[in-house]
Amino acid sequence: MTCWRSFALASGLAVSSGWATDFGREVRPILEAHCFECHGPEKQKSDFRLDLRSAALKGGGNGPAIVPGNPSESPLIAHIEAPPVDEMAMPPRKKGEQGLSPEEIETLRTWIGEGANWPDNLAGEDGRLGHWAWQPLREDVGTARSIDDFIQGEREAVGLEMSPEADRLTLIRRLSFDLHGVPPSPDAVEAFVEDPDPRAYEKLVDSMLDSTKYGERFARHWLDIAHYADTHGFERDQRRDSAWRYRDYVIDSFNDDKPYDRFLREQIAGDVLWPEEEEAIVATGFLAAGPWDFVGQKETKSPVLRRSARALDLDDMATQVMTATMGMTVNCARCHDHKLDPISQEEYFRLQAVFAGVKREERVISEAALQKYEKEKAVLSRKLDEADFAIAKLEGESLDLADIVGGGNGLGTGTVGNGIDSRSGKVQTRKFGAIRNAVANRFKPVDFEFIDGVFVPDGEDGKAGVPISSTGLVVSGLPKTSVAVWDMIRNGPVSSTHSTELDGVDFASEGRSMLGLHANAGITFDLAAVRKATGLKGLRFSSRLGYFGAAGANQADAWVVLDGKIVVEHRGLNREQGLQEIDLSLPETARFLTLISTDGGNGYGHDQVAFGDPKLKPDPPRTLSAEDRDELTRWKRKRAEVERELKVLGEPPRYYGIVAEEEMPEVRMQRRGNPEAEFGDPLPPGAFSVLAMLDPDLGGRDATEGERRRALADWIAHPDNPLSSRVIVNRLWHWHFGQGIVATPSDFGLGGSRPSHPELLDWLAHRLKENGGSLKAVHRLILNSAAYRQESRFTSEAPGVAIDAGNRLLWRQNPRRIEAEAVRDSVLFVSGKLNPERGGPGFRDFKYTDAYAPIYEYVTADEPKLWRRSIYRFLVRTTPDQFLTTLDCPDPANLTPKRLTTTTPLQSLALYNNDFMLRQARYFAERVQEEAGDDPATQVARAFALAFGRSPSREESELSVSLVEKEGLFAFCRSLFNANEFVYVD
Amino acid sequence: MTLALSRSSRREFLSRAGGGFGGLALSSLLSESAGAVSHHAPRAKRVIQIFCSGGLSHVDTFDYKPELERRAGTPFDPEGKLQFFASKPGNCLPSFWKFRQHGESGLWMSDLLPKLAKCIDDMAFIYSMQSKTALHGPGAFMMNTGQTLPGFPSMGSWVTYGLGSESENLPAFVVLPDVRGLPPGGIINWGAGFLPAEHQATALDVANVKTPIADLFPSESFAEETAAADEPGLEFLNELNQLHRKFRSGNTELEARIKAYEMAARLQLSAPEVTDLHGETELTRKLYDIEHPDIGPFGRQCLLARRLVERGVRFVQIYCGAENTTAEKIRPNWDSHEDLPRDHGYWGPILDTGASALLIDLKSRGLLEDTLVICTSEFGRQPAAQNDTGKGRDHNGGGFTAWMAGGGIKGGTGYGATDELGWKAEDKVVHSYELHATALHLLGVDHERLTWYHNGLEQRLTGFEGKGVIHDLLA
Repeated sequence: MTCWRSFALASGLAVSSGWATDFGREVRPILEAHCFECHGPEKQKSDFRLDLRSAALKGGGNGPAIVPGNPSESPLIAHIEAPPVDEMAMPPRKKGEQGLSPEEIETLRTWIGEGANWPDNLAGEDGRLGHWAWQPLREDVGTARSIDDFIQGEREAVGLEMSPEADRLTLIRRLSFDLHGVPPSPDAVEAFVEDPDPRAYEKLVDSMLDSTKYGERFARHWLDIAHYADTHGFERDQRRDSAWRYRDYVIDSFNDDKPYDRFLREQIAGDVLWPEEEEAIVATGFLAAGPWDFVGQKETKSPVLRRSARALDLDDMATQVMTATMGMTVNCARCHDHKLDPISQEEYFRLQAVFAGVKREERVISEAALQKYEKEKAVLSRKLDEADFAIAKLEGESLDLADIVGGGNGLGTGTVGNGIDSRSGKVQTRKFGAIRNAVANRFKPVDFEFIDGVFVPDGEDGKAGVPISSTGLVVSGLPKTSVAVWDMIRNGPVSSTHSTELDGVDFASEGRSMLGLHANAGITFDLAAVRKATGLKGLRFSSRLGYFGAAGANQADAWVVLDGKIVVEHRGLNREQGLQEIDLSLPETARFLTLISTDGGNGYGHDQVAFGDPKLKPDPPRTLSAEDRDELTRWKRKRAEVERELKVLGEPPRYYGIVAEEEMPEVRMQRRGNPEAEFGDPLPPGAFSVLAMLDPDLGGRDATEGERRRALADWIAHPDNPLSSRVIVNRLWHWHFGQGIVATPSDFGLGGSRPSHPELLDWLAHRLKENGGSLKAVHRLILNSAAYRQESRFTSEAPGVAIDAGNRLLWRQNPRRIEAEAVRDSVLFVSGKLNPERGGPGFRDFKYTDAYAPIYEYVTADEPKLWRRSIYRFLVRTTPDQFLTTLDCPDPANLTPKRLTTTTPLQSLALYNNDFMLRQARYFAERVQEEAGDDPATQVARAFALAFGRSPSREESELSVSLVEKEGLFAFCRSLFNANEFVYVD
Repeated sequence: MTLALSRSSRREFLSRAGGGFGGLALSSLLSESAGAVSHHAPRAKRVIQIFCSGGLSHVDTFDYKPELERRAGTPFDPEGKLQFFASKPGNCLPSFWKFRQHGESGLWMSDLLPKLAKCIDDMAFIYSMQSKTALHGPGAFMMNTGQTLPGFPSMGSWVTYGLGSESENLPAFVVLPDVRGLPPGGIINWGAGFLPAEHQATALDVANVKTPIADLFPSESFAEETAAADEPGLEFLNELNQLHRKFRSGNTELEARIKAYEMAARLQLSAPEVTDLHGETELTRKLYDIEHPDIGPFGRQCLLARRLVERGVRFVQIYCGAENTTAEKIRPNWDSHEDLPRDHGYWGPILDTGASALLIDLKSRGLLEDTLVICTSEFGRQPAAQNDTGKGRDHNGGGFTAWMAGGGIKGGTGYGATDELGWKAEDKVVHSYELHATALHLLGVDHERLTWYHNGLEQRLTGFEGKGVIHDLLA
């Protein structure tokens, strides 16, 4: 203040007397009389308020209104001095109405000129800071010793009694859906119901929390609030093939009961805090989990569009982190100060400065992990090779098709490097690049004994037949191609091949061969001629097909066609997929074997397709001595063993996570959240001052990207931060009761709901800390409470219906409709088809077509690999699974703290008629038949045990038997899947 | 359901309805009772929205720019400062089709749309549309949901959330996707976002007369097995559910779910009836040109839309164009980057025939009075050529045209304007916010009071930046 005063004096501006203006006596009354109505505690037009010092001096959506020491530069003065007709005149008035008097204006001028002195005692208080959620956890929560003490107190205060404890059958079903997302098996029900141990329930809770199904269930809840999916979303909804590693991380974290504060820190800054630990690195997949606009961020050439997409991307990231971990809805402060919560726009952009250097990207978990993976893969590939050689030797001579392309007899007489022109069928010995004047679908014979001819294919997406033989055979169903040609069809790599090595096998090395077939080209071999020359009858064709061009977005299609029928199809082949095994039996009647490569619809660049070791072998193999036969069996067994090991080795260690921008971008305020309207100085990273117990500064402007995230992680997971622990215990409560103590689990701000049991909430938060952040400890407290174990059934006459219809006071447990995923998983569980395989890449129950915007077409999941739990679905953003969407599965574009339940006729249609449901009903019927035999009453009892975990009543049994007898088991099982009891849990 | 409830009281109301939304859920998808309470008397009872995917060129259709003709062939951006979505602008490129004045209003339309030009006095044009983006996905989201991000409820979802259904046998919100595929951004263009799932659109497959709605009937492979058992199975299910409910009478969701099966059965009768076009006269079939190989599919969509609103469906959305999928010779949408005469030349007659038929047909049946027809695109196209001498146009989020008709709209109105070349909306700029606010107003809904609390905010279809209803468009 002093400093401003002297500045004002020095510049000689508007100082009328030696006495400073008295703010409280002279200035505030003027503001109150003329300004507060629109810029006060009630309304803040243009996001500007004059009743609080902090807000008034900072200004509103249009920037600062008061420039201390300089009234002429202060927009406030310009506004009040403007003539009434002027748009900017303040206060707004009709012609003839009075604004501020000249004296009042002069007082304000003087006051600003003196430095806008605003004493502390009149700074004004922001009442919102007293909101319960921002306060420290209360230490003193009375004499309550258990959850039920708190519940009882509130409930009794309105004169309600609790419901009796549910029976064991109900309890195990409730626990099973709650903790595992599937019903209990009939055996488990029986064991629990008959367990004489008085602690049987507690034991059951423990064993269910110990099961890995717990993590599979609870990860789904967490992924909802991370809006996780396996594609980018937006227009070009491309796949994120390695995103599943984060999903598995979440499952494992829940199963390992990872301390919650560590769980949070890892997801925000695991790569910085524990750079040596793989799971901490993968954890940052959290920050990358949401949608990402490829077209807006990469494809468009317009920098304005890019900045706009990036701003929304950062907003999404910040919103996700703050709602998930702290229940704070920060995104409202992007365009202006938060309307409800005391979060300023500046604070929003300081938070943005934490993430400004973060980009979503696929990356390797660590170079060491990748090297280890590649080394192991190379060792195994070598072993596979060794076995192949031995087997080949034992099985007898074979003809090498690459050698034949090189003009040889298939036994090594051809010239490596020679090629055939796919346009003309002529032999070429030198290297070529792009070939001009190619004409599609013109078959050209080749003057080699075993080769019928060559061609340049263009299937026009199935509309054109491609001629493939001298006898006029055509193949249909091939895609449209660019009809562009590169180099020849070669005995060896085509020119400019990126590398002749794939999966550790170098096909240019001694004893190997490759038939280079760059897209777009095709070649047909004459099997009749081969048979005639060799005297062989049965033949096999084996090869290891690969994309030898550079890795990246490049890809091609490769085909093997037998007498005009496609027998092998590899669409979207790229380098990363490695070698594709081909082993085909060629019937004696087969005449033409055709190999084709096409450009995959994205141009022919890099499409260096080749068939490695392309061999025609005798089939059956030549007669062997007993010894050789044993030897062959041994090698084949060994080969199978190596293949298994390769499968175990799995996917390369990549994950979808984040990388730092090369340079930390500067973050400034943006007027109305518009990235084209930045103002002010670059901001240092920061959190929110509303939590007074924590320091909101997260480092200086020179802090690195990693330091910023680490500082935020520390701020969020700080032991004194009351919100992160309140928010998670409330989520656990919400997941167990279907309703949180705070009914808005991701919004603890002033717009959210008030806690029904505030002391209980804090008591639980303390228990979480006391137990070292163990979520399982809090689960146990909740699940073992009498409140949880109550009955949920109630009649419309129950006293609670009138007093507390929403059951906020928990006079009963809440019955719940199971979620879309639980419906699907339960159907599979009951039919006996659930595939319990855990972890790894998600299953894809769709047909994928690569296009500018990829097309995902769902298929009926009717094979074991698609019968895994729904948590392992490959989630597509633009094209969600309609069956599950109809059953209320949320859109992964949204952060979903709370699933909504609707009841619609479309759901009835889906459950009654959907192909998946009908097939599962059939499997269910088959299972019942198998397990219960032919007696309808026994069948009905078994089906009830499987579907509902109980025996049918006499009435139910009679109804059921009658249906089974008249319509069969299938109709009965189909109805059980549709029953209210199947989808509602007591 | 009343819309005037405050946030907290609505929450209470919902929880009284049974710990969830069960009690309400049916009202909007298939309603037994009439719709909810309006804020004021509606002018329109239902909406048909046509969405032209890919970016329809306003300067070749509705927005006449003589200055563009005068400057033809001269550089659009001589200083080379501008960067469009995919290119630097080339020369000024006037409309490929001649513009003429039509009707009593004397408004302009190009020769690309001769049939629609005859309806011009029923149409109101907003020449000053602007988007927040020039990207297909976000652009489509914005025009459909009011936000450029995915995950927000579409206009149809908001409307059915607010007004419920008029039909007892059909869904309140139906979408008719282009037979060529999904629009940019996919099916979430008609999703319910954060609203309860019952407010999402039901997709009707125009090409599938027998099973126009997914899972309406069992697939062929189960047809035999289920045909006889369908009814006894449902009867048994009902009995089982009634027994189950006996001791749980407090939970109203259970009853709602039992009812849903009855309504599903009704839908099985009403949906195939609506998609069966055999009852339409030869004249009508000709009007929509439904047998034409190219025009026919969109004609069918438009005809179906009429049949749907006739039967009380509240909101019908029709897509004219798909996403850029496999590269065909003609683009599968309006996204005419390389060859506008080719692509707009193909799509023009499609829109022209279907949309004009719809207006004429609705009018002759007296339905246009209270049916609001809206036609939009995600954005417009540049008045400059894409690249120096190109025949195409790049994306233009800065200016485009939308039109509305019927349902309380003042026909023959032209509102707002782009600059002299059609590059940017200048006079009375309109975003999706005002367009949506106007549509809601005509439906009797105050857009500021149609809200849903989500992520810290009472969310609205019309956001918080808009200027509200465009009164100049109202009759």
